[in-house]
Amino acid sequence: MSTPLTARLIEEYASASQALPSSGAAADRRNAAIEVLRAQGLPTSRDENWKYANLRVLERLRFAPAAGAATATRVSVSAADMPPALPDFARYVYVDGVLSATLSAPAATGAATVTPLASTPAVAGAATPALKADERFAAVNAAFATDGTAIRVTAGTGAATPAGIELVFVASADAQAGASYPRVAVRLEAGARLTLIERHLSAGSDNSFVNSAVTADLARGATLQHYRLQDLAGRAIMFDTLSATLGADASYHLHGISTGAQAARSTLTVRLAGERANLAMAMAALGDRAQVNDMFALVEHLAPGARTTQTFRGISAGRARVAFNGKIVVARNAAGTDSQQSLRGLLAGAEAEIDVRPQLEIYTDDVRCSHGATVGKLDDNMLFYLLSRGLDRDTAQRLLKWAFLAEVVTKISVPALRREIEAHLPGALKDATLQELL
Amino acid sequence: MTAMLSIRNLVVRIDGKEILKGLDLEVGTGEVHAIMGPNGSGKSTLAHVLAGRPGYEITSGTVSYQGRDLFALAPEERARAGVFLGFQYPVEIPGVNNVYLLKAALNAARKEHGLAEVDAFEFLTLVRDKMKLMRIEDSFLSRAVNQGFSGGEKKRNEILQMLVLEPKLAILDETDSGLDIDALKVVAAGVNSLRSPERACVLVTHYQRLLEYVVPDFVHVLVDGRIAKSGDRTLALELEKRGYDWVSGAAA
Repeated sequence: MSTPLTARLIEEYASASQALPSSGAAADRRNAAIEVLRAQGLPTSRDENWKYANLRVLERLRFAPAAGAATATRVSVSAADMPPALPDFARYVYVDGVLSATLSAPAATGAATVTPLASTPAVAGAATPALKADERFAAVNAAFATDGTAIRVTAGTGAATPAGIELVFVASADAQAGASYPRVAVRLEAGARLTLIERHLSAGSDNSFVNSAVTADLARGATLQHYRLQDLAGRAIMFDTLSATLGADASYHLHGISTGAQAARSTLTVRLAGERANLAMAMAALGDRAQVNDMFALVEHLAPGARTTQTFRGISAGRARVAFNGKIVVARNAAGTDSQQSLRGLLAGAEAEIDVRPQLEIYTDDVRCSHGATVGKLDDNMLFYLLSRGLDRDTAQRLLKWAFLAEVVTKISVPALRREIEAHLPGALKDATLQELL
Repeated sequence: MTAMLSIRNLVVRIDGKEILKGLDLEVGTGEVHAIMGPNGSGKSTLAHVLAGRPGYEITSGTVSYQGRDLFALAPEERARAGVFLGFQYPVEIPGVNNVYLLKAALNAARKEHGLAEVDAFEFLTLVRDKMKLMRIEDSFLSRAVNQGFSGGEKKRNEILQMLVLEPKLAILDETDSGLDIDALKVVAAGVNSLRSPERACVLVTHYQRLLEYVVPDFVHVLVDGRIAKSGDRTLALELEKRGYDWVSGAAA
């Protein structure tokens, strides 16, 4: 079912593949990925799980990596484009998907090792599950990625604090010149702990195409705190695929804050494969102007006694569309599953759109699954209460939007990161009282 | 001397239905007025209209506040100019901290008067001082606005906000409802502490109980959208004895 778009992608691959780095394993990976795409095609808006995404933008961009394009057309990225350094985090910076040694600040991170993905035999870790149909953009990444990062944290090292690694992906090329393919494979061995910050931002072009693929594999008892901050420039296009697999007693805290790009789509798949695995997912998305910010999250409970809490808060203003489609599947042997979904959208503009969709598919009786989904406007009573105390309308509205997101932001347990987000998020007030007391 | 509040022939509708039907009221500076009346007489409508709540259609009449046209001011401008509404049902705002709201409100008023932002230390000292008066626990400082507060705590929080903001005209909408006797005394002490020759207060209440602790200069009975009877504090006592039917009958 190849569409013209898929056909063009395959053509671009054919002409670009000579220039792509291809050791034996990498070439196999690329060819396999292209065959998946040739057979399945790219998703279209007729696909149930893609109807909220903006896929039209793909028609105007180049799939071949910008890293392979002539360097003269590319903007140089400097340290000034970087976010403030976070204490105790090793930083790795990638420009258009390729590691920049000059901008990176690696540091000893205890049990964690960071290596180029190409130098590791396969995608590190246990058997990689086959890509699902909704993960086809990960196949695009597999076909074109020019670089990649493997993070491995060794078993139960007993370090007092988890290792801290920050990955900064900078998109600098124009979408017509080529794409950026961040690629990360995280493997936590038994009992290992890691705090990972993954940023996506722009420097140079405000119109980049970023297609990232991240896998996380958590062995028994491992804990991963994962912060994803997407703050690309206003005309950027972002497709990302995240796939995580949790072993028994593993704990995965996924925090996402997505504010940038004109068209953003996140495809998240988390498999709770081991008993008593724990997933806490807290996502916030903002849309303004004509932005489309779409998230699809599939959580699979595949073993008994696992637990999921999923929180989503989205604000849509202007003519934007913000969507969160959260599907939880409880397999037949996943007795004792406990899942809670709280999905809330705030409409902050007459022409804005919010879609929140909780879905549950349960194949066993012994479960406790709750879900709540609401979409509303700013509460008139709250607004009047604040106005009646003398706050100006703009401040009152920003404060209420901020309050709406607070449930996600307050879950950020890296203090410096939380402060940065509080100062940065639209709706946040740069006020010391707010920052100390919220 | 200009009156603090002067209401002339005020007619207000909600959804096309006339609630206030030509109300007149004069509140002088330094005075405390009680507005009493049966349910549905328009007491809360009056309080909300004065604070600028949307959803009310003002079809005729004028309200001047310290000589200014009150209806020309947005709700937030009224607040900064010294008008305070104590809500009958204070609103819970999860995610917004009590102290943040207090500070933002105080600074908004200070800015209006050309003053610098309040010093953080002085501010906290002031708030703690007023909290003590209102018997509000320290944990209040880290809680969200009214979230999870009991009915009594919410009302005490309203008065706390009033004490911090020091309004010129306080309009308290059934601040006494739902309070036990101890909480009522605390609230009354808060209101009395703000009584002064420069301020005025309008107490909207259903019962005369509050008026035993905050003694009004004038009592008005609102019936069917108009002031049906005015008098001194003895009127409240008589109402308590004879019921609102007594005035409704007299007005008819």
